[in-house]
Amino acid sequence: MNLRDIVDQLALEVCAAEEKLDTEVTGGYASDLLSYVMARAKEGNVWVTMQSHVNVVAVASLVNLAGVITTEGTKAEPATLEKANQEGIPILATKLTTYTVAGKLYELGIGNEDIDG
Amino acid sequence: MRELSLHILDALENSREAGATHVELTIAEDLVADRLTITIRDNGCGMNEETLARVTDPFYTSRKTRHIGLGIPLFQAAAERCNGELVITSQPGKGTMLRAVFQHSHLDRAPLGDMTGTLLSFVLGGVCDLSYLHRVNEREFAFSTAEIKAELGDVPPSHPAVREWLRSFIAEGEATLIPLSV
Repeated sequence: MNLRDIVDQLALEVCAAEEKLDTEVTGGYASDLLSYVMARAKEGNVWVTMQSHVNVVAVASLVNLAGVITTEGTKAEPATLEKANQEGIPILATKLTTYTVAGKLYELGIGNEDIDG
Repeated sequence: MRELSLHILDALENSREAGATHVELTIAEDLVADRLTITIRDNGCGMNEETLARVTDPFYTSRKTRHIGLGIPLFQAAAERCNGELVITSQPGKGTMLRAVFQHSHLDRAPLGDMTGTLLSFVLGGVCDLSYLHRVNEREFAFSTAEIKAELGDVPPSHPAVREWLRSFIAEGEATLIPLSV
């Protein structure tokens, strides 16, 4: 499944890097602690968070994540979106909670067995 | 990060990488003013204004292996999330001062965490001297590795017996502050 399918299924708003929506998603990870995402998320994962700081783009780029879903109506700052466009990291916004987004991703068959075993 | 001590260790390692031979670490917890202030002062190589302006930018790093450095940006974001700030001043050839301020009672403030392990890891990690002061309101715990090393003479701090003594010395010192340090 790629990001575009997820955007369609969850009715996400594409805020940055629209040209990268064909990226295949390998799994999912949800956390607001960036250090944990850096250490635990896997390449190609979609990351679900309510953080919107430019550091989010740095972590996503470092780990080679497929994209970031920002939850609960969090609006990423202009600086964050600008960097996301430069780095090619899709930022996808929703009003849903992180919990609900993770549940819906699982329904779509996106798990994180690589991490939880 | 889950603990402020991890940010502190990261910043101390920056000082070491800057070639510092002496680092001053002060943790001041003022529960009346509701402030937790972490100050790190080193005598390392320092930074010019151009570099200084970029250290809080996650897409800047002194490393050549990758183009992203998140140590300082994460420390800064943690402080700002807790009604605080992170300030760095530096003079090339003289050294660098980093100060992170947090609202002590802020719900999102991470606990200070394992200071004993953090201090021990830094002290045993190399030749850089450390002056440490942890204050909680009126109470203080302080030590200087230069003084400890002078007393040890030829015995290296990494000697198992010294290491164990250091661990309990720091743990006991920190414990005297705990009842107020939440």
